[in-house]
Amino acid sequence: MRDVLAVRGLNKRFGGIVVARNIDLTLHAGRVVGLIGPNGAGKTSLFNLISGVVKPDSGTVVLDGAPLDPLKFHQRIHRGLSRTWQHVRLFPSLPVLDNLLIATRDYPGERIVNVLFGRRRLKEHDEAAREKATDILGRMGLANVAHSLVTDLPYGQQKLVGVARALMGEATCLLLDEPMAGVEGASYAAMQRVVREVADRGVAVCVVEHNVAFVRDLCDEGIFMFSGAIMARGSVAELIRDPHLTELYFGH
Amino acid sequence: MEYLDGLIVIVGLYVILAASFNLIIGYGGLVSIAHPVFFALGAYASAILARDLALPVPLAMLGGTAVALAASIALALPSLRVSGDYLLIASIGFQLGLLEVIKNLRFTGGSSGFINIPPFLIRDFGRASYVALVLAATAGVVFLVRWIARSDYGRAMSAMRDDELAFASIGRNAMWMKIAIFALGSGLAGLAGALYAHYFRFVTPEQFELLQSAAILTMVVVGGMRTTWGPVVGALLLEALPQALAFLNLPPSVLGPIQGLLFTGLVLVFMFFRPQGLVPAQDVWRGARAAKESR
Repeated sequence: MRDVLAVRGLNKRFGGIVVARNIDLTLHAGRVVGLIGPNGAGKTSLFNLISGVVKPDSGTVVLDGAPLDPLKFHQRIHRGLSRTWQHVRLFPSLPVLDNLLIATRDYPGERIVNVLFGRRRLKEHDEAAREKATDILGRMGLANVAHSLVTDLPYGQQKLVGVARALMGEATCLLLDEPMAGVEGASYAAMQRVVREVADRGVAVCVVEHNVAFVRDLCDEGIFMFSGAIMARGSVAELIRDPHLTELYFGH
Repeated sequence: MEYLDGLIVIVGLYVILAASFNLIIGYGGLVSIAHPVFFALGAYASAILARDLALPVPLAMLGGTAVALAASIALALPSLRVSGDYLLIASIGFQLGLLEVIKNLRFTGGSSGFINIPPFLIRDFGRASYVALVLAATAGVVFLVRWIARSDYGRAMSAMRDDELAFASIGRNAMWMKIAIFALGSGLAGLAGALYAHYFRFVTPEQFELLQSAAILTMVVVGGMRTTWGPVVGALLLEALPQALAFLNLPPSVLGPIQGLLFTGLVLVFMFFRPQGLVPAQDVWRGARAAKESR
């Protein structure tokens, strides 16, 4: 199992609140790791620290052998990191397909010089991106809504689009923030299938999730966080059975 | 005829200013008021290059455009590194400061203005040829902005305005896009300035004061932000209407205030009855709609 992401000694405090307490975390290719813990445990903060949205007080993040620490958020995405958001954060003024087309790892259309003088390159890129986006949407059962506005979709489908968008960059490490919250029925099954497929292709996946059934069915491993620290790592079934962790989770 | 030619040139140049400002504030979502300063930079730089350094006028015009573009990058780079709000503050300082500099330098002619700017085309081919040049530039700028807004770049601008954090989370660099948008828009304002200088052959600093910022902003807002024709309609209306009033033969003491009233009155009326402007923008990015329709 190849190490894809290695987090070492990560610390962060906001005033008196410690959101990361000496965190060590390794994510492996092809494995899905579930990050569980009560609200306020620091799960989303850990994603923010890894992706560079928030700068840590100390510690390092290494992706595929290269340190990410000096890089900004968007530069880390270029290196093969990808993440989704708890509250989706799609682009409401763009149709579903365009939400994906803009999310390729390299998007030549973001440089005005290419738009003015590199028409051929843009066209070639656009064709490839459309093919990829259509394929991803098809696998998620979203082919029929490719031209809809994201705001017209039910919430569960919006969540799927969020994951689809995060897959456009062909990342080696995927961080999913509560992909299942508000997702039901066909979207639920599609989400489960897609995340598994992504991992099977060799991507290291980390999922923050409160849905215990989803974590148990999908994750190869669980990590329990509490008050900014990693308390335990092991099989999800073990973590769920542990009376000490249950107590922390429910706060008896 | 000379009056009408001058009017067409002025309206055309304001269409360029409004269309390029629409790129900055409408499509880019960047709030700046310094647009007239880049107009001024283009005018002064082109005038100085042509008169004092004896450059051929077309080259001087290119130089003026380049100076405005470079100055806008110098302004945007430090302020956008911090946040978008700083651009507004920096632009106010830049506008007030630079106009003071122009007023107090010898080689800009000081507050009495820069005179004897070399003419272009008019002596050899008549005024109509210059009017044609301005109209061609106007059409070029309007369609350039429209084309960019509907290209892959327009898709990115739409996404950036929607959600900057999500925009970064897919690997896009919002800061450089903003700088490029600001530079292009300001460069086009510089071009308008250069075209102004070699037609009217005289510029003074007070032509580019805060009132001009308000005028250009009003043209974009009243016409309709983030649309192709909004700034065109806005510039036509707000430049032509005060000129038409001049035909009423009112004494200057009455005419000035009436034009001012018309100006602010229009903004007030639009604020209440048509906040989307004369030409309303679509909520959906037009490029996607255009692609769908052509399918």
